[in-house]
Amino acid sequence: MNPYYELPQDEAGYSFGFLDEYAKREVRRNILKAICIPGYQTPYASREMPMGRGFGTGGLQLTLSLIGRGDTLKVIDQGSDDSVNAVNLRHFIELTCPGVDTTERTQDATLIQSRHRIPEMRMTSAQTLVLQVPYPDPLVVVEPSEARRKIMHGEGDYSRLLTKLYEDIVHFDEITISHRYPTRINGHYVLDPSPIPRFDVPKLHQSPALILFGAGREKKIYAVPPYTNAEPLVFEDVPFRTEDFSDAQGRRRSCHRCGATDSFLDEFTGNDGERIYQCSDSDYCHQRLSTQHSAANEVSR
Amino acid sequence: MKKILGVKNLGKIHGSGCPRCLESTGPDAGSNICSHCSSVVAAANISFDLHAGEVLGIMGESGSGKSTIVKMLFFDEEPSLGEAVFFDDERQWDLFSVNAAEQRWLRNHRFGIVYQNPHLGLNFNFSAGGNIAERLLMSDLAHYGQIRERARDLLTRTEVMPERMDESPKKFSGGMQQRVQIAKALSTSPPVLFLDEVTTGLDLSVQARILDLILEIQQELGTAMIAVTHDLGVIRLLATRTIVMKNGRIIEAGLTDQILEDPQHAYTQQLVASAL
Repeated sequence: MNPYYELPQDEAGYSFGFLDEYAKREVRRNILKAICIPGYQTPYASREMPMGRGFGTGGLQLTLSLIGRGDTLKVIDQGSDDSVNAVNLRHFIELTCPGVDTTERTQDATLIQSRHRIPEMRMTSAQTLVLQVPYPDPLVVVEPSEARRKIMHGEGDYSRLLTKLYEDIVHFDEITISHRYPTRINGHYVLDPSPIPRFDVPKLHQSPALILFGAGREKKIYAVPPYTNAEPLVFEDVPFRTEDFSDAQGRRRSCHRCGATDSFLDEFTGNDGERIYQCSDSDYCHQRLSTQHSAANEVSR
Repeated sequence: MKKILGVKNLGKIHGSGCPRCLESTGPDAGSNICSHCSSVVAAANISFDLHAGEVLGIMGESGSGKSTIVKMLFFDEEPSLGEAVFFDDERQWDLFSVNAAEQRWLRNHRFGIVYQNPHLGLNFNFSAGGNIAERLLMSDLAHYGQIRERARDLLTRTEVMPERMDESPKKFSGGMQQRVQIAKALSTSPPVLFLDEVTTGLDLSVQARILDLILEIQQELGTAMIAVTHDLGVIRLLATRTIVMKNGRIIEAGLTDQILEDPQHAYTQQLVASAL
C-alpha cells in the first residue's frame, strides 16, 4: 500500500461513507470472498462505528462500503421505514454520504439495508439487500466451541442441528423456530438468515438480488449470491412450513389497512381489545393503498 | 475367518518423546514414564488382529493403556506411532492416514463405541430418542418417521422402555443410560463395536443383564467387538481371545480360557490369582 497516497476526505476530515478507503476495501474484499463461498462466514475486521455494536453496525459497514454517488438507499427496521433503528441509520448515511438518495419505495432502491425482514415486493437483479445479523452461526445453539463449529461447517456436519429439530417435533409436534431458521445455501453451508421470520426464508431461494449479511459484533460477513439455492433444513417427511395467518375459520387473515392476504402480518391490540392485523412491510401497505385510492378516484370520476 | 481390523505397532506418547522412550518404559522397566525425557508412554508396540464376529478382550490394571487403544481406534485420540487397517466390505481403510471427513464417516457408519461414563457417549440435553436420532442423522438418514421407528426398535431391543424414549437420559438409572448408549452405538449396525469398561460402576445384577444383552447382540448381528475391562468375569464371559496389558505393553495374548487357566506371565498369574 502506498503510504503517500492521500485518502479522499471532506473538509471536516471524514471520508465519503465515514469509513476510510482502506477499511472499505477490506470489507469489499470480504464481501467478494463471501459471494464466492455461498453461505460461508467470512471473518472481517469489524470497525468501531459511532453507535453501539448490536445496533446494526455490521449491516451499516456493508452498506457504507458498497454505496456510491448515484445510489438510492432504503433502510428498513422490522419492515418499517419509520422505526427508530431505520431512521437513525438512514440519517447517518445521508450525513456521511453526500449525493446519495434515499427512498421508501422498494422498487426505486438500488441498495436496501434491512433489519429482520425481506421486502414483500420481489427484488430484482439490479438490487442488493444488506441484512443486519446479531448471531451469524446457526450451530451456536448446539456447540459452544467456535473451533469445533468451524470443523462442523467445513465437513457439512449439521446432524446436531437436525437433532434439535427432531427434539422440537417430539416435544411440540412441530418445529418451534420462529425466526433465524437454519438454511442450507448451495448444498453445503448452513447459515443463520438473520432474524427474518420463516415467512421470508423462501425468498432467499433463487433470489435475483444479491443478499449480504453483516454481523458487526461477531465480525462476520456472509452472502447468498443471486440465483443460488437456499433450502431450509428439514426432515424428508416433515416439510418446511411458513407462519400460518389463518383465523379460526381457516381463512387467511388480511391487513386491516390495505386488505393484503399475501403479506407478513403484525398483530396489534386495538382500543377495544380486539386483535388487529397489519402488513409488517409498511412500504408495501402504502403502495397498495395509494393504488387503491387512485383506482377509486378513477371510478368516481 | 475374515480379518476386520489389523493393528500394527500402535503407540501413544504424551509429551515431547525421545529416541530412548520405548526402551526405557514398559513392564521390564516397571513404569510407563520415560526416565530420560519424562514423557508418558501410554501404549507402544501394540499389534493384534480382530476377526469378523469375534470379541477381543483387553485386560489390565488402571493406567496400563487399555482405553488409550480404543480411543485411538475410534479417533478420539491421535496415535503417535503405528498403523491400523480396517477391512470394510468394499475397501480397506488405513485408519490413520484418512482425512477428517472420512474419519467422521467411519465413526458414524462403521464403528460404534460404548463408554464407561454415559456422559461421554450421550448428550444429556437431548432425549434418549434424540441421542439415537443424532447418530442416525450423522449417518445420513433424514426421515423423521423412520428415525422414530428405528429408535423405538433399538430401545425395545436394549430393554429401555420405549415409553420413556422422549425423556432425557439424565432421569435414567446408570444401567439404563448404558443401555441407551448401546442402542445408540448399534443404531447404524456397525461391523465393529468398542466397549470401554461398559459394566464398571454398575451393580452385579445390572452388570449381568448388560453383558447378556451384549452377548445376544454379538450372536445375533455378528458384530466384532473389542471389550476393554479390568474385570476378569467380563473377560471370561465375553471374550474369545484376550490381550493382557501392563505399563502400556502387551505382555500376553491368546485364547481367553488359556490365559485364565494357564497364565504364563508373572503379572497375569498375579492378576488371575487375585481375582479367584
